[in-house]
Amino acid sequence: MKTLLNLSLAAMILTGGAFLYADDEREEHEHHRSSMVAQPVTPQEKSTVALYTKECGACHMAYQPQFLPKRSWEKTMKMLDNHFGSDATLDPQDHKTIQNYLVSHASKNDQMSDIKGNIALRISETPYFIREHREVSKKMVTQPAVKSFANCNACHTQATNGSYREREVRIPNYAHWEE
Amino acid sequence: MKYLAFAFLFSTSLMAASPEVVQYMNELSKTAKVENSSFNGFDAARGKDIFTSTHTGKQGKPMACTSCHTTNLTNSGKNALTGKVIDPLSPRTNPQRLTSTKDVTKWLKRNFMDVYAREGTAQEKGDVLTYIMKN
Repeated sequence: MKTLLNLSLAAMILTGGAFLYADDEREEHEHHRSSMVAQPVTPQEKSTVALYTKECGACHMAYQPQFLPKRSWEKTMKMLDNHFGSDATLDPQDHKTIQNYLVSHASKNDQMSDIKGNIALRISETPYFIREHREVSKKMVTQPAVKSFANCNACHTQATNGSYREREVRIPNYAHWEE
Repeated sequence: MKYLAFAFLFSTSLMAASPEVVQYMNELSKTAKVENSSFNGFDAARGKDIFTSTHTGKQGKPMACTSCHTTNLTNSGKNALTGKVIDPLSPRTNPQRLTSTKDVTKWLKRNFMDVYAREGTAQEKGDVLTYIMKN
């Protein structure tokens, strides 16, 4: 009986491990591909990314444009005077450059309206985001070291580089949350 | 002429700002005079009051410049909504500050809207810049 228990335990650990590994591989593949799209190549692209990082990254992480579809970015850029409660208006030329950058690198998969069917403005309202974060408790996110889901790099240690691999996740004060 | 040159040197040494921002301050000064005939130069003490007093902001909640920038301009601040670190405002600590008129006008517009729910007048903008320069 004891041997049987040990065996089934070992099998569980093995399958669990394989599942986690597979999940990580898939995730890695997806984000590897999407971060390649945003990789600036020409000097002009580099200066556009620098502008985007300076302007939008002054208040929050400069999110990878692939996280929202075109219509979400268009809606966001239309209401910068009331950007989640802040005035985030830009000089007209910079506005145009940043809008073009976001729209041209937006997600091609427009299943990203929020769960009520509105055009999602927050990445955290998209079905993909919600699914990926279903195991994360509210306490982990609202704690002062994180504040909100808007703060990607609080837990995704390589988020600013466009990498969201599971193995790079470190939730502050919840070191062993997955174990 | 000698006196003018001296006055210019004195005023720029007092102002920890780039020539382009000093030029912007001069324009603000002219507008302030048009808007208020008793205007008699910018004042750091008035600027401090603008910077440290609490107002009903854009979101209908109490808000001050210090909510994000703290009361010590030589220290880093933190965006009150996102928690993102804000580099010190003091040009003495952070030489990047007050070097670009484009950046200065952008932030003055945005932050007056956030804290005061309106744009600042030329005098208010000049006062608050004078306060920042002296810190």
